[in-house]
Amino acid sequence: MAVNRLFIANRGEIALRIVRAAQGLNTQTVVGISDADRGSAAARLADRALVLGPGPAAKSYLDPRLVVHAAKAAGCDALHPGYGFLSERSILPRLCAEHGIAFVGPEPDMIDALGDKLQARAMAKAAGVPLVPGSEEIASAADARREGDRIGYPVLLKASAGGGGRGMVIANNANEVEAGFHKASAEALAAFNDGRLFMERFVPEARHVEVQLMGDGTGKVVHFGERDCSVQRRYQKLVEEAPCTAMPDRVRKQLHEAAVALAASVHYRNAGTAEFLYDVAREEVYFIEVNARIQVEHPVSEMITGFDLVQEQIRIAGGSALSVAQDDVRVTGHAIECRINAEDVGKGFIPVPGRITGWQVPTGEGIRLDSHMSEGAMIPPFYDSMIGKLIVHGSDRADAVAKLTEALDAFKVEGVPTTIDLHRRIVRHPDFIENRIHTRWLEQTLLASPE
Amino acid sequence: MSGPKTEGAALADIEALIADFQASGMRELHVRSGEFEIYLSADASAPGLGAQAVAVRVEPVAPAAAAPAAEAPASAAIPAAAPSSLPDNAVIVRAPYLGTFYRAPKPGSPVYVDVGSVVTADTEMCLVEVMKLFTAVRAGLSGTVHAILATDGAMVEADQPLFAVIPG
Repeated sequence: MAVNRLFIANRGEIALRIVRAAQGLNTQTVVGISDADRGSAAARLADRALVLGPGPAAKSYLDPRLVVHAAKAAGCDALHPGYGFLSERSILPRLCAEHGIAFVGPEPDMIDALGDKLQARAMAKAAGVPLVPGSEEIASAADARREGDRIGYPVLLKASAGGGGRGMVIANNANEVEAGFHKASAEALAAFNDGRLFMERFVPEARHVEVQLMGDGTGKVVHFGERDCSVQRRYQKLVEEAPCTAMPDRVRKQLHEAAVALAASVHYRNAGTAEFLYDVAREEVYFIEVNARIQVEHPVSEMITGFDLVQEQIRIAGGSALSVAQDDVRVTGHAIECRINAEDVGKGFIPVPGRITGWQVPTGEGIRLDSHMSEGAMIPPFYDSMIGKLIVHGSDRADAVAKLTEALDAFKVEGVPTTIDLHRRIVRHPDFIENRIHTRWLEQTLLASPE
Repeated sequence: MSGPKTEGAALADIEALIADFQASGMRELHVRSGEFEIYLSADASAPGLGAQAVAVRVEPVAPAAAAPAAEAPASAAIPAAAPSSLPDNAVIVRAPYLGTFYRAPKPGSPVYVDVGSVVTADTEMCLVEVMKLFTAVRAGLSGTVHAILATDGAMVEADQPLFAVIPG
């Protein structure tokens, strides 16, 4: 049964993106907003907007009971969580199920299992997916030392409950690994209320690659190619592209097969992303984790395959089987996305809320801008600093880089500082143009050099 | 409103209408569509419509804690004590940037400092958060906390006074 009325439990560009996708399916839309987002683009475009509560997210977007109550009150039969906020909190799909609302995402137990890195690693191992050489759970400093000696330094101590780079400590030798164990477990306990740790070999020059997956819960899983998200700062992605041209076809095929095998083995439902490290020197890929949601960077996969992933998510939540077979997915050209954040790069990337007083955007063939901003729009102080995503599609990587360079030059924002100028430096850098980057390139090379 | 127009208006639609009404800031709303009629008032003592009508006392959806801050964030912050009434030797600890002022590391935890707390230069006094970036504000001097000048959970402006500390 197709979704009749969809509740959107998110804000910003992704709320707008979901409203548009739903409208394309003739699905009614209700967006739950905070008081601070009354004038937002999603609230205006949706059929209805319900105010969940005041600006602070804990009292609006992050309150699962409030969100599901609003969805129920508005007569919605499905709920899309977007990314961030409650998207990977299993309480949300559990409450949806209690109220007969279809959740646009995987089952709650799957979210819990994938959110626990030790469990996710076990799933991947069982599906024959290569892991970063590492350990099972580490129980003591002595354990940490024994495993560190076995794996070989440097190693990364990671919180099982962590994510997004939080709860990670690098240890370069046996002494550091013992101190690191105490530091990482205390941090993990404080941050996640779960001190369990494991260890992985630290890959110094790695690329971050990931595979876009979609399953319908029957064991049928289709992939939409890989993305390369190696331009990062503090484990936060800034530029994402597809496909990954720094990888031989043999490795790419292995990557896709591993990701699909993992998702198929657990009968994964809806959109997910399997993240991997690519060790360029060894030409090997290692599984990191699965993100059980649509991701910020999904548009680059849409641009190279021509599919609307959010519409496919909604169809699957409505009970449809996958509308796409693997043979239907053909990669054409190259796409790159830049995250435009309202941040002051010169002041340590501090986020800056405020009003947009000028908004001139690039347009043209192969240029897509996913943004909820416009001249006069307000960026509230309560949420993420991302104000848009500029995506370009070219015939190949060089063409895409050229288009992106022009598009960034034409993109003028006034009122708040943004990361646009940083992106202009990135796309002009010889390392980026020649695709010689890795996950620490931005911090070690570009940001370390004078402007 | 979509859905049934006349009798048998879906309960969900009525609930949604109530939620919309609550969110709108309107005082009263009277809707009549065919056989269906509803009267909503934010005032519990409102007379209603008579025998057939329903009067619903509308409670706020969520506690009206901080004032809507998006349009004028600074206005939401009400200093708990005016800096002008402080002793001459008081040193003011200020907000590093516009953001939300938190006195405790997380909800339910003990506050970092209170009036009378003894601090040193490195003592963390509060958190200021903007767009998910949390910054711990340190005292910057040794002394005793004399006054707390901002409200926990409120928006503060850049350089707004947060604490008064008496050096010593």
